[in-house]
Amino acid sequence: MAQRQDEFLSRGGRVFGLSADTAPMNTAIVEKLSLPFPVLSDPDRSEAITPLGFADEKDPRQISRPGTVIIDTNGEVAFSTTGRDYADRPNEDTLLEALEGLGLPATTQTPPELGESQPGEKAMAYEGLPHYFRGAKFAVMALRGRHRDLSEEFTDDTKRYLQMVERYLEALPAVEERRT
Amino acid sequence: MATDFTVVDNAGEPWTLSDHLDAAAVITFHRGDF
Repeated sequence: MAQRQDEFLSRGGRVFGLSADTAPMNTAIVEKLSLPFPVLSDPDRSEAITPLGFADEKDPRQISRPGTVIIDTNGEVAFSTTGRDYADRPNEDTLLEALEGLGLPATTQTPPELGESQPGEKAMAYEGLPHYFRGAKFAVMALRGRHRDLSEEFTDDTKRYLQMVERYLEALPAVEERRT
Repeated sequence: MATDFTVVDNAGEPWTLSDHLDAAAVITFHRGDF
């Protein structure tokens, strides 16, 4: 979403990340990916994650499910999508289409302030991300080939996942550029 | 019903949704520890 921030801004939407991580963990993510928007923290999930329906009740770590909500200028939820798991994230094109439907004027967004930075214990170093995405891509390609007769739903699911990983891989050069 | 909430931004400062609604807010939720 960072790579396409201008497209969100031109349609009148500012992008924000949000998780149950602490502010220092989120600053570490902003630094790692050189994000042009802030990442917000709802550690006990009581303010935004649970009220907006994103609490992951199956995971014992008290985390958020992946997803995106678009709040219009009246404070109303104009669009909401929730991923089934960590491998199921919304397509930016879908979000941009929903945002465009609000008919808002273009806006701007100032870069995020950085605070104390402390990566989480399991956080992956930036240098590991390309290998991680490529490994995920080839593993899913292999499983897709192995089980291509399983069901249409499985084939469609793997296709969407591969498209998502491709988008992430395509975004890496821009991340690299922002980091330098 | 209008949604509003106050969380903390990554700099540790309070962040209230209604203070930012001169534009739409596209809020993407993450599992974290990434």
